[in-house]
Amino acid sequence: MSEPFEPKIVAFVCTYCTYAGADLAGTSRLKYAPNVRIVRLPCTGRISPMFILKALQKGADSVLVSGCHPGDCHFTAGNYHARRRWTVFRALLAFTGIPEERIRFSWVSAAEGAKFAEMINEITDETRKLGPFTQYQELQKVIETQSSY
Amino acid sequence: MGIQEQYRSEAAALLSSGEVKLVIGFGAGSTADRRRPLFARTPDEAQKFVLDAACIANLSTYLVTEGLLSDGKKVAVFLKPDGIRSINILISEAQLKPEQVVILGYAIENGKEITPLEGRNISDFSIGEQIRSLTPPPHILQEAERIEEMSATERFEFWKEHFAKCIKCYACRQVCPMCYCRRCIVDVNQPQWVSTSSHTLGNFEWNLVRAFHLAGRCAACGACDRACPVNIPLRLVNYRMGKEVIDAFDYCAGENSNQKPVLASFKQDDPETFIL
Repeated sequence: MSEPFEPKIVAFVCTYCTYAGADLAGTSRLKYAPNVRIVRLPCTGRISPMFILKALQKGADSVLVSGCHPGDCHFTAGNYHARRRWTVFRALLAFTGIPEERIRFSWVSAAEGAKFAEMINEITDETRKLGPFTQYQELQKVIETQSSY
Repeated sequence: MGIQEQYRSEAAALLSSGEVKLVIGFGAGSTADRRRPLFARTPDEAQKFVLDAACIANLSTYLVTEGLLSDGKKVAVFLKPDGIRSINILISEAQLKPEQVVILGYAIENGKEITPLEGRNISDFSIGEQIRSLTPPPHILQEAERIEEMSATERFEFWKEHFAKCIKCYACRQVCPMCYCRRCIVDVNQPQWVSTSSHTLGNFEWNLVRAFHLAGRCAACGACDRACPVNIPLRLVNYRMGKEVIDAFDYCAGENSNQKPVLASFKQDDPETFIL
Protein backbone atom coordinates (compact mmCIF):
# COMPACT_ATOMS: atom_id res chain seq x y z
CA MET A 1 0.00 0.00 0.00
CA SER A 2 1.31 3.37 -0.88
CA GLU A 3 1.56 6.09 1.71
CA PRO A 4 -0.84 9.05 1.44
CA PHE A 5 0.59 11.93 -0.57
CA GLU A 6 2.35 14.60 1.46
CA PRO A 7 3.36 17.58 -0.65
CA LYS A 8 6.94 18.78 -0.56
CA ILE A 9 7.15 22.55 -0.65
CA VAL A 10 10.35 24.51 -0.98
CA ALA A 11 10.31 28.11 0.19
CA PHE A 12 13.06 30.48 -0.90
CA VAL A 13 12.93 33.39 1.51
CA CYS A 14 14.96 36.47 2.22
CA THR A 15 16.60 36.59 5.62
CA TYR A 16 15.50 40.12 6.54
CA CYS A 17 11.75 39.84 6.09
CA THR A 18 10.17 36.52 5.31
CA TYR A 19 12.66 34.44 7.30
CA ALA A 20 12.09 36.76 10.25
CA GLY A 21 8.35 36.45 9.61
CA ALA A 22 8.63 32.67 9.70
CA ASP A 23 10.64 33.01 12.88
CA LEU A 24 7.90 35.16 14.37
CA ALA A 25 5.34 32.49 13.44
CA GLY A 26 7.49 30.03 15.39
CA THR A 27 8.05 32.20 18.44
CA SER A 28 4.34 33.10 18.49
CA ARG A 29 3.62 29.33 18.65
CA LEU A 30 1.58 29.43 15.46
CA LYS A 31 1.12 26.00 13.98
CA TYR A 32 1.59 25.52 10.27
CA ALA A 33 2.01 22.60 7.92
CA PRO A 34 5.38 20.86 8.30
CA ASN A 35 5.59 20.28 4.53
CA VAL A 36 7.62 23.36 3.85
CA ARG A 37 11.42 23.37 3.61
CA ILE A 38 12.75 26.85 4.05
CA VAL A 39 15.85 27.97 2.21
CA ARG A 40 17.17 31.22 3.62
CA LEU A 41 18.91 33.65 1.28
CA PRO A 42 20.32 37.14 1.77
CA CYS A 43 17.75 38.84 -0.47
CA THR A 44 15.07 38.01 -3.03
CA GLY A 45 17.41 39.59 -5.54
CA ARG A 46 19.70 36.62 -4.88
CA ILE A 47 17.04 34.11 -5.90
CA SER A 48 17.93 32.88 -9.33
CA PRO A 49 15.22 31.18 -11.38
CA MET A 50 17.66 28.27 -11.46
CA PHE A 51 16.82 27.65 -7.80
CA ILE A 52 13.19 27.14 -8.69
CA LEU A 53 13.99 24.80 -11.57
CA LYS A 54 16.38 22.85 -9.38
CA ALA A 55 13.81 22.48 -6.63
CA LEU A 56 11.28 21.12 -9.12
CA GLN A 57 13.90 18.82 -10.59
CA LYS A 58 14.73 17.44 -7.16
CA GLY A 59 11.12 16.58 -6.42
CA ALA A 60 9.39 19.67 -5.02
CA ASP A 61 5.65 19.74 -5.63
CA SER A 62 5.36 23.49 -5.05
CA VAL A 63 7.77 26.35 -4.69
CA LEU A 64 7.27 29.53 -2.72
CA VAL A 65 9.42 32.59 -3.23
CA SER A 66 9.01 35.30 -0.67
CA GLY A 67 10.71 38.49 0.43
CA CYS A 68 10.30 42.02 1.73
CA HIS A 69 7.45 44.25 0.67
CA PRO A 70 8.38 46.80 -2.00
CA GLY A 71 10.25 49.63 -0.37
CA ASP A 72 11.37 47.53 2.59
CA CYS A 73 14.37 45.78 1.03
CA HIS A 74 17.45 45.77 3.25
CA PHE A 75 19.50 46.38 0.12
CA THR A 76 17.08 49.11 -1.09
CA ALA A 77 16.13 47.56 -4.43
CA GLY A 78 16.73 43.79 -4.44
CA ASN A 79 13.05 42.96 -4.36
CA TYR A 80 12.23 45.36 -7.20
CA HIS A 81 14.74 43.57 -9.41
CA ALA A 82 13.40 40.21 -8.27
CA ARG A 83 9.88 41.29 -9.11
CA ARG A 84 10.78 42.01 -12.72
CA ARG A 85 12.60 38.74 -12.98
CA TRP A 86 9.63 36.81 -11.60
CA THR A 87 7.21 38.47 -13.98
CA VAL A 88 9.24 37.28 -16.93
CA PHE A 89 9.98 33.89 -15.44
CA ARG A 90 6.34 33.26 -14.68
CA ALA A 91 5.41 34.04 -18.27
CA LEU A 92 8.07 31.59 -19.44
CA LEU A 93 6.78 28.85 -17.15
CA ALA A 94 3.23 29.47 -18.31
CA PHE A 95 4.26 29.36 -21.96
CA THR A 96 6.11 26.07 -21.53
CA GLY A 97 3.25 24.51 -19.60
CA ILE A 98 4.73 24.29 -16.12
CA PRO A 99 1.66 24.90 -13.92
CA GLU A 100 1.76 28.43 -12.53
CA GLU A 101 -0.19 27.41 -9.43
CA ARG A 102 2.82 25.42 -8.25
CA ILE A 103 5.11 28.42 -8.14
CA ARG A 104 4.07 31.25 -5.89
CA PHE A 105 5.47 34.59 -5.02
CA SER A 106 4.68 36.68 -2.00
CA TRP A 107 5.80 39.55 0.19
CA VAL A 108 5.93 38.71 3.88
CA SER A 109 7.40 41.20 6.32
CA ALA A 110 9.09 40.40 9.63
CA ALA A 111 5.89 41.35 11.41
CA GLU A 112 3.66 39.05 9.39
CA GLY A 113 4.14 35.73 11.18
CA ALA A 114 0.44 35.02 10.94
CA LYS A 115 0.38 35.72 7.22
CA PHE A 116 3.30 33.33 6.74
CA ALA A 117 1.67 30.51 8.71
CA GLU A 118 -1.64 31.00 6.93
CA MET A 119 0.01 31.08 3.53
CA ILE A 120 1.97 27.89 4.12
CA ASN A 121 -1.20 26.11 5.21
CA GLU A 122 -3.02 27.34 2.15
CA ILE A 123 -0.24 26.33 -0.25
CA THR A 124 0.01 22.90 1.38
CA ASP A 125 -3.73 22.32 1.06
CA GLU A 126 -3.79 23.43 -2.54
CA THR A 127 -0.77 21.36 -3.47
CA ARG A 128 -2.36 18.37 -1.80
CA LYS A 129 -5.37 18.87 -4.06
CA LEU A 130 -3.16 19.26 -7.14
CA GLY A 131 -1.30 16.06 -6.31
CA PRO A 132 2.38 15.32 -6.86
CA PHE A 133 4.09 17.17 -9.71
CA THR A 134 4.47 14.01 -11.74
CA GLN A 135 4.92 15.74 -15.11
CA TYR A 136 8.34 16.93 -14.11
CA GLN A 137 9.26 14.16 -11.70
CA GLU A 138 8.75 11.53 -14.37
CA LEU A 139 11.37 13.20 -16.51
CA GLN A 140 13.74 12.86 -13.58
CA LYS A 141 12.91 9.16 -13.20
CA VAL A 142 13.89 8.57 -16.82
CA ILE A 143 17.40 9.75 -16.03
CA GLU A 144 17.67 7.59 -12.97
CA THR A 145 16.68 4.43 -14.80
CA GLN A 146 19.01 5.28 -17.67
CA SER A 147 22.00 5.85 -15.43
CA SER A 148 21.39 2.66 -13.46
CA TYR A 149 22.66 0.41 -16.23
CA MET B 1 27.16 49.99 -59.92
CA GLY B 2 25.26 47.37 -57.98
CA ILE B 3 25.06 47.45 -54.22
CA GLN B 4 27.42 44.48 -53.97
CA GLU B 5 30.19 46.31 -55.86
CA GLN B 6 29.48 49.50 -53.93
CA TYR B 7 29.89 47.73 -50.59
CA ARG B 8 32.95 45.83 -51.81
CA SER B 9 34.73 49.05 -52.71
CA GLU B 10 33.59 50.67 -49.51
CA ALA B 11 34.99 47.78 -47.48
CA ALA B 12 38.22 47.94 -49.47
CA ALA B 13 38.46 51.71 -48.84
CA LEU B 14 37.95 51.24 -45.11
CA LEU B 15 40.71 48.63 -45.04
CA SER B 16 43.21 50.48 -47.24
CA SER B 17 42.80 53.73 -45.30
CA GLY B 18 43.47 51.77 -42.12
CA GLU B 19 40.25 53.00 -40.55
CA VAL B 20 39.24 49.45 -39.69
CA LYS B 21 41.38 46.40 -39.06
CA LEU B 22 38.79 43.91 -40.19
CA VAL B 23 35.60 43.76 -42.21
CA ILE B 24 33.12 41.02 -41.42
CA GLY B 25 30.83 40.20 -44.30
CA PHE B 26 29.57 37.37 -46.43
CA GLY B 27 31.40 35.19 -48.91
CA ALA B 28 30.23 32.43 -51.20
CA GLY B 29 28.97 29.36 -49.37
CA SER B 30 29.09 25.64 -50.03
CA THR B 31 25.98 25.75 -52.22
CA ALA B 32 24.50 28.42 -54.47
CA ASP B 33 21.92 29.54 -51.90
CA ARG B 34 24.20 29.64 -48.89
CA ARG B 35 26.60 32.30 -47.69
CA ARG B 36 29.34 31.97 -45.18
CA PRO B 37 30.97 34.66 -43.08
CA LEU B 38 34.05 36.20 -44.66
CA PHE B 39 36.65 38.06 -42.64
CA ALA B 40 38.61 40.50 -44.78
CA ARG B 41 41.81 42.05 -43.48
CA THR B 42 43.18 43.36 -46.79
CA PRO B 43 41.53 45.36 -49.61
CA ASP B 44 42.05 42.37 -51.93
CA GLU B 45 40.09 40.07 -49.70
CA ALA B 46 37.27 42.62 -49.65
CA GLN B 47 36.70 41.89 -53.35
CA LYS B 48 35.35 38.47 -52.38
CA PHE B 49 32.39 39.91 -50.48
CA VAL B 50 28.98 38.83 -51.62
CA LEU B 51 25.80 40.74 -50.82
CA ASP B 52 22.47 39.35 -51.90
CA ALA B 53 19.18 38.10 -50.47
CA ALA B 54 20.86 34.95 -49.11
CA CYS B 55 22.88 37.04 -46.63
CA ILE B 56 20.52 36.55 -43.73
CA ALA B 57 22.89 35.68 -40.89
CA ASN B 58 23.37 38.11 -38.03
CA LEU B 59 27.10 38.81 -38.14
CA SER B 60 27.10 40.93 -34.97
CA THR B 61 27.73 37.69 -33.11
CA TYR B 62 31.39 37.79 -34.20
CA LEU B 63 31.95 41.17 -32.57
CA VAL B 64 31.75 39.69 -29.08
CA THR B 65 34.56 37.24 -29.84
CA GLU B 66 36.91 37.40 -26.91
CA GLY B 67 39.81 39.78 -27.52
CA LEU B 68 38.67 40.99 -30.93
CA LEU B 69 38.09 44.59 -29.90
CA SER B 70 40.46 44.76 -26.94
CA ASP B 71 43.14 46.56 -29.01
CA GLY B 72 40.80 49.55 -29.42
CA LYS B 73 40.81 49.30 -33.23
CA LYS B 74 37.68 49.44 -35.30
CA VAL B 75 35.86 46.63 -37.05
CA ALA B 76 33.35 47.02 -39.86
CA VAL B 77 30.46 44.62 -40.20
CA PHE B 78 27.65 43.96 -42.67
CA LEU B 79 24.36 44.21 -40.80
CA LYS B 80 20.65 44.03 -41.45
CA PRO B 81 18.28 45.98 -39.16
CA ASP B 82 18.12 43.03 -36.73
CA GLY B 83 21.90 43.09 -36.56
CA ILE B 84 21.83 46.81 -35.83
CA ARG B 85 19.35 46.07 -33.08
CA SER B 86 21.79 43.50 -31.64
CA ILE B 87 24.51 46.16 -31.64
CA ASN B 88 22.21 48.49 -29.70
CA ILE B 89 21.64 45.80 -27.10
CA LEU B 90 25.32 44.92 -26.85
CA ILE B 91 26.23 48.58 -26.37
CA SER B 92 23.56 49.04 -23.71
CA GLU B 93 25.03 46.01 -21.92
CA ALA B 94 28.52 47.52 -22.13
CA GLN B 95 29.84 44.75 -24.37
CA LEU B 96 30.80 47.04 -27.23
CA LYS B 97 32.02 50.57 -27.59
CA PRO B 98 29.94 52.38 -30.20
CA GLU B 99 32.99 54.05 -31.72
CA GLN B 100 34.61 50.70 -32.46
CA VAL B 101 31.89 49.45 -34.76
CA VAL B 102 31.48 50.62 -38.36
CA ILE B 103 28.20 49.45 -39.82
CA LEU B 104 27.70 48.55 -43.44
CA GLY B 105 23.91 48.42 -43.26
CA TYR B 106 21.58 46.81 -45.76
CA ALA B 107 18.01 45.64 -45.78
CA ILE B 108 16.41 42.79 -47.66
CA GLU B 109 13.02 43.82 -49.03
CA ASN B 110 10.41 41.17 -49.82
CA GLY B 111 13.04 38.50 -49.49
CA LYS B 112 14.92 39.48 -52.65
CA GLU B 113 15.65 43.20 -53.11
CA ILE B 114 18.76 44.51 -51.38
CA THR B 115 18.71 48.15 -50.36
CA PRO B 116 21.54 50.04 -48.67
CA LEU B 117 20.97 51.69 -45.29
CA GLU B 118 22.31 55.19 -44.76
CA GLY B 119 24.87 55.74 -42.04
CA ARG B 120 28.04 54.13 -40.72
CA ASN B 121 27.87 54.75 -37.01
CA ILE B 122 25.32 53.18 -34.69
CA SER B 123 23.99 56.65 -33.83
CA ASP B 124 23.11 57.20 -37.52
CA PHE B 125 20.45 54.53 -37.39
CA SER B 126 17.17 55.19 -35.67
CA ILE B 127 15.41 51.87 -35.70
CA GLY B 128 13.37 52.41 -32.51
CA GLU B 129 9.94 52.91 -34.04
CA GLN B 130 10.56 50.33 -36.68
CA ILE B 131 11.35 47.52 -34.28
CA ARG B 132 8.59 48.25 -31.84
CA SER B 133 6.03 47.77 -34.56
CA LEU B 134 7.90 44.70 -35.81
CA THR B 135 5.85 41.53 -35.85
CA PRO B 136 7.37 38.10 -36.24
CA PRO B 137 6.73 36.06 -39.39
CA PRO B 138 3.05 35.02 -39.61
CA HIS B 139 3.73 31.34 -38.97
CA ILE B 140 5.41 32.17 -35.64
CA LEU B 141 2.58 34.47 -34.63
CA GLN B 142 -0.02 31.83 -35.46
CA GLU B 143 1.87 29.12 -33.62
CA ALA B 144 2.28 31.36 -30.55
CA GLU B 145 -1.44 32.07 -30.54
CA ARG B 146 -2.20 28.38 -30.89
CA ILE B 147 -0.02 27.59 -27.87
CA GLU B 148 -1.61 30.35 -25.78
CA GLU B 149 -4.98 28.69 -26.33
CA MET B 150 -3.78 25.27 -25.16
CA SER B 151 -4.17 23.99 -21.62
CA ALA B 152 -1.05 23.86 -19.45
CA THR B 153 -0.79 20.09 -19.89
CA GLU B 154 -1.00 20.37 -23.68
CA ARG B 155 1.62 23.09 -23.64
CA PHE B 156 3.92 20.95 -21.56
CA GLU B 157 3.46 18.05 -23.97
CA PHE B 158 4.10 20.34 -26.94
CA TRP B 159 7.42 21.51 -25.56
CA LYS B 160 8.33 18.10 -24.19
CA GLU B 161 8.02 16.72 -27.68
CA HIS B 162 10.22 19.47 -29.09
CA PHE B 163 12.79 19.51 -26.30
CA ALA B 164 13.06 15.71 -26.38
CA LYS B 165 14.74 16.16 -29.78
CA CYS B 166 17.40 18.51 -28.45
CA ILE B 167 20.90 17.06 -28.67
CA LYS B 168 22.48 19.78 -26.54
CA CYS B 169 24.83 20.86 -29.29
CA TYR B 170 24.47 24.46 -28.02
CA ALA B 171 24.44 25.75 -31.59
CA CYS B 172 21.67 28.16 -30.49
CA ARG B 173 24.03 29.58 -27.91
CA GLN B 174 27.07 29.76 -30.16
CA VAL B 175 25.26 31.60 -32.91
CA CYS B 176 23.52 34.10 -30.63
CA PRO B 177 25.11 37.56 -30.35
CA MET B 178 23.60 37.88 -26.86
CA CYS B 179 25.17 34.68 -25.53
CA TYR B 180 28.56 36.14 -24.78
CA CYS B 181 29.11 34.88 -21.22
CA ARG B 182 32.64 33.58 -20.88
CA ARG B 183 31.30 30.78 -18.78
CA CYS B 184 27.79 29.77 -19.64
CA ILE B 185 25.62 28.44 -16.83
CA VAL B 186 25.39 25.03 -18.51
CA ASP B 187 29.17 24.74 -18.42
CA VAL B 188 29.23 25.33 -14.69
CA ASN B 189 29.52 22.00 -12.93
CA GLN B 190 29.92 22.99 -9.31
CA PRO B 191 27.05 23.23 -8.67
CA GLN B 192 25.63 21.56 -11.75
CA TRP B 193 22.59 23.72 -12.42
CA VAL B 194 21.59 22.11 -15.67
CA SER B 195 21.78 18.37 -16.33
CA THR B 196 24.20 18.12 -19.22
CA SER B 197 23.22 14.87 -20.87
CA SER B 198 20.59 15.26 -23.54
CA HIS B 199 17.64 13.65 -21.84
CA THR B 200 14.36 15.50 -21.79
CA LEU B 201 14.69 16.97 -18.30
CA GLY B 202 18.13 18.41 -19.00
CA ASN B 203 16.86 19.70 -22.33
CA PHE B 204 13.93 21.34 -20.61
CA GLU B 205 16.20 23.08 -18.16
CA TRP B 206 18.64 24.21 -20.80
CA ASN B 207 15.97 25.60 -23.07
CA LEU B 208 14.17 27.35 -20.22
CA VAL B 209 17.38 28.94 -19.03
CA ARG B 210 18.36 29.99 -22.52
CA ALA B 211 14.96 31.58 -23.10
CA PHE B 212 15.01 33.30 -19.72
CA HIS B 213 18.47 34.73 -20.27
CA LEU B 214 17.29 36.18 -23.57
CA ALA B 215 14.16 37.76 -22.14
CA GLY B 216 14.21 41.44 -22.98
CA ARG B 217 17.48 41.04 -24.87
CA CYS B 218 16.56 39.11 -27.99
CA ALA B 219 16.96 40.98 -31.27
CA ALA B 220 14.62 38.52 -33.01
CA CYS B 221 17.14 37.77 -35.75
CA GLY B 222 16.15 34.10 -35.73
CA ALA B 223 19.73 32.84 -35.83
CA CYS B 224 19.07 30.25 -33.08
CA ASP B 225 16.11 28.92 -34.97
CA ARG B 226 18.11 28.52 -38.16
CA ALA B 227 21.05 26.98 -36.34
CA CYS B 228 19.03 24.33 -34.54
CA PRO B 229 19.77 20.98 -36.22
CA VAL B 230 16.57 19.40 -34.87
CA ASN B 231 14.25 22.31 -35.61
CA ILE B 232 13.09 23.28 -32.15
CA PRO B 233 10.94 26.42 -32.59
CA LEU B 234 13.22 28.63 -30.49
CA ARG B 235 11.92 31.85 -32.05
CA LEU B 236 8.53 31.05 -30.63
CA VAL B 237 9.63 31.16 -27.04
CA ASN B 238 11.92 34.15 -27.68
CA TYR B 239 9.01 36.01 -29.22
CA ARG B 240 6.81 35.24 -26.23
CA MET B 241 9.46 36.55 -23.82
CA GLY B 242 9.88 39.74 -25.84
CA LYS B 243 6.14 40.26 -25.85
CA GLU B 244 5.98 39.83 -22.08
CA VAL B 245 8.63 42.48 -21.59
CA ILE B 246 6.81 44.93 -23.86
CA ASP B 247 3.44 44.27 -22.20
CA ALA B 248 4.64 44.32 -18.61
CA PHE B 249 7.39 46.94 -18.66
CA ASP B 250 6.84 48.79 -21.95
CA TYR B 251 10.40 47.86 -22.91
CA CYS B 252 11.55 46.87 -26.34
CA ALA B 253 15.10 45.54 -26.57
CA GLY B 254 17.50 47.33 -28.90
CA GLU B 255 15.44 50.42 -29.63
CA ASN B 256 18.48 52.53 -28.92
CA SER B 257 21.89 52.06 -27.41
CA ASN B 258 21.36 54.01 -24.19
CA GLN B 259 18.44 52.14 -22.68
CA LYS B 260 19.12 50.24 -19.46
CA PRO B 261 18.77 46.45 -19.70
CA VAL B 262 15.24 45.58 -18.63
CA LEU B 263 16.13 43.05 -15.94
CA ALA B 264 18.84 45.30 -14.55
CA SER B 265 16.45 48.16 -13.93
CA PHE B 266 13.03 48.60 -12.36
CA LYS B 267 10.22 50.99 -11.69
CA GLN B 268 8.59 51.26 -8.31
CA ASP B 269 5.20 50.75 -9.87
CA ASP B 270 6.01 47.68 -11.96
CA PRO B 271 3.03 45.33 -12.15
CA GLU B 272 2.79 42.71 -9.42
CA THR B 273 -0.66 41.23 -9.74
CA PHE B 274 0.60 37.69 -9.16
CA ILE B 275 2.32 38.38 -5.83
CA LEU B 276 0.44 37.28 -2.73
